[in-house]
Amino acid sequence: MNKDYPIPENELQRLAALKRYNILDTLPDDAFDDATRLVSYICGVPIAHISFIDEDRQWFKSEIGIGVSEVPREITFCNYTILDTEIVEINDTHVNERFKDDPNVTGGFNVRFYAGVPLTTPDGYNIGTLCAIDHEVKELNENQRNALSIIAKHVIAQLELGTKNNQLYAQRKIAERAILARDSFLANMSHEIRTPLNAIVGFTDLLAQTELDETQRDYIESVQIAGERLLLIVNDILDLSKIESGNLTIESNPFNLKKTLKHIYNLLKVKVKSDVDFNLFLDAEMPDMVVGDQGRLSQILVNLIGNALKFTTEGEVIVSVKKIEETEDSYSLKFSVKDTGIGIPKDKLETIFERFTQGEESTTRTFGGTGLGLNIVKQLVELQKGEVHVKSTLNRGSEFYVIISYQKTNFEETVVKTVSKNDLGHLKILLCEDNVLNQKLAKSVINNFGFDLDIASNGEEGIELLSQNEYDLVLMDLQMPVKDGYQTTEYIRNEMNSTIPIVAMTAHSLVGEQERCYQSGMNAYVPKPFKQSVLLKAIKTVMTPGSDAYHRRIIDMSFLDEMSGGDPEFKKDMIALFIEKIPNQATLLEEAFKNTDYENVKKLAHNMKSSMDIFMLQDLSNCLSIIEGEASSGEFTAETLDKVNIFSCGIEEVVKILKEL
Amino acid sequence: MRIIVAEDNDILRKSLSFFLESKGFSVDQFSDGKEALDAIEKENYDLILTDINMPGVSGMEITQHVRENLKSDIPVIILTSSGVEQTELDSFDIGANEFIAKPVSPAVLLVRINKLLKTRI
Repeated sequence: MNKDYPIPENELQRLAALKRYNILDTLPDDAFDDATRLVSYICGVPIAHISFIDEDRQWFKSEIGIGVSEVPREITFCNYTILDTEIVEINDTHVNERFKDDPNVTGGFNVRFYAGVPLTTPDGYNIGTLCAIDHEVKELNENQRNALSIIAKHVIAQLELGTKNNQLYAQRKIAERAILARDSFLANMSHEIRTPLNAIVGFTDLLAQTELDETQRDYIESVQIAGERLLLIVNDILDLSKIESGNLTIESNPFNLKKTLKHIYNLLKVKVKSDVDFNLFLDAEMPDMVVGDQGRLSQILVNLIGNALKFTTEGEVIVSVKKIEETEDSYSLKFSVKDTGIGIPKDKLETIFERFTQGEESTTRTFGGTGLGLNIVKQLVELQKGEVHVKSTLNRGSEFYVIISYQKTNFEETVVKTVSKNDLGHLKILLCEDNVLNQKLAKSVINNFGFDLDIASNGEEGIELLSQNEYDLVLMDLQMPVKDGYQTTEYIRNEMNSTIPIVAMTAHSLVGEQERCYQSGMNAYVPKPFKQSVLLKAIKTVMTPGSDAYHRRIIDMSFLDEMSGGDPEFKKDMIALFIEKIPNQATLLEEAFKNTDYENVKKLAHNMKSSMDIFMLQDLSNCLSIIEGEASSGEFTAETLDKVNIFSCGIEEVVKILKEL
Repeated sequence: MRIIVAEDNDILRKSLSFFLESKGFSVDQFSDGKEALDAIEKENYDLILTDINMPGVSGMEITQHVRENLKSDIPVIILTSSGVEQTELDSFDIGANEFIAKPVSPAVLLVRINKLLKTRI
């Protein structure tokens, strides 16, 4: 190190303090430039700067009248300033012993007057200087000197702020990653728990239908209640992780509002305690049919009403629905659930919608529940652009109300003739399923319905049986060895040219999977663990011609409209380009994924994401983000496979819709 | 005002170009980083809009080349994927003026472009 200039005693610590701010060689910043300008104005000097001194140079964060970004350390006056704790002022360098022969006095910057304030960090290190320099002899007054010290303090405060911002940013990233990890863990665990639960709930149902003595019936009912409760909890957790990961979509279909409400009422009526009145009031002006998400409305109301019934031991629970606003194309409806139950303490009202929060810490023990229900309600309401509110008085009761807007519809409900079990006659059914427990369960259930069942333990076997015998219907598990449910269905549809109804059965309940089932040619979808009534309904649906429930996605063109300024020709070109490019790229992605070619998967996923964003295909864009992320980390999981599949099907569907435009 | 757009996703590139042209800019578009760089050396652009990830030469390399070898202070906007970490800091380090995370909002893009072009004049 050049010893021509003094080195501060704490040089090593001083340099470390400087490095912590990551300020060296950064871009100009208004805050610092303003401070430099202030110095120049206040002191009336042509040269001013804020600089930092590292091992071998003085680097200017901001400067006026210097014109270079750094100078070697050995030529700077500031070497002396950083030794000091206060302002260093040299009124006339020509009469100063230390500087009169300095090259920057005799030539260079022609420094005649120098005033420098050390920039001192909160822990006491002088990492740089704030300076005012002139070509003439000068003396600062008291106010000017004070101003320089104040500005120097502000510069340090600015640096501190920048560092804090960076730390916050880094911490936010860590927190986001942790949340992502937790959500995918929750989703996986829920799935793992659902599979064995399927067997427990199913066999218990079967057992309950056999001849039992009173004690046995009592035991079985307890198991049934416990099983259902466990299933509810798992479903709550799964829903929450789906909402968090953006995988939960709100459907928009016409549905009968009055029927839905009456159905919910009837469903919950059985749970009402003897001292409680349970009533449903419907506004006479309320519409019959609206467009929206029927399933999610049911979920919200079942949750709120379920709570009200749970926490009310006497008095009443009133559900009322009112039309509060009507526009040309929509209704705004208020759904209120009012009870005379235990109420919620005032200080808990604000946090009642937060996760794992309940009215009282002891609520969990007295009343049970996960503390997830209201959080799910809130998120579901918000996903539908609605609002949820609560009013409550402790020991008097609570009122929860939800306001949601629904689109109007001209859709007339067509009554599909429902087939009773007997109308179906004697069906011959083929089950493709590899899990022995599930085989046994399905066999009992199907036999109970009065149908015949043959079992194939994988897709290949299923196809063989199908070519030998006549069947009315196929029940298809999705995950099987040798040939899975999708491949088998495609073979049945494309190679065997058979139109036999196929009902998918799966323990996965991921968004997109249902669509994928319909894409590959299946006719209905039953999630596991299945309820006998749901399975029977699915069988009836597919055996009744012309009742295909087909869910279509709606493509949101608003972004493209904004880009194109509404130019129809350009829009058409972009749609054509999508149809031309994306299916090929999707195929390449699938291939690269099969070959575990991380590099290409990453590239393709990244490239296609922008195209998804333009057509506002949020779900598919999310898939690609996950795929890209996994490819970057160099490891594919079962989730990647899922996302690749969902993406391929989504693209197929989108292209089909775009082609029809 | 002349803007060069470098983006390998065809749909996004064409949309961005169409949008900027409709706002009165003259736009040259490239899907390959190397070709974009050649054009930057030959032509006189007022602003560079480039994707961070490009075949051939990346958006970062374009910026670095412009700053270090061409010694130009032309405004550079880098489009990033929100998922890519550290991008924010990196694009500042190499001298980009702005980074915008995809999906790019046309309105935001326009504001930033106008801001950069104005402060320059």
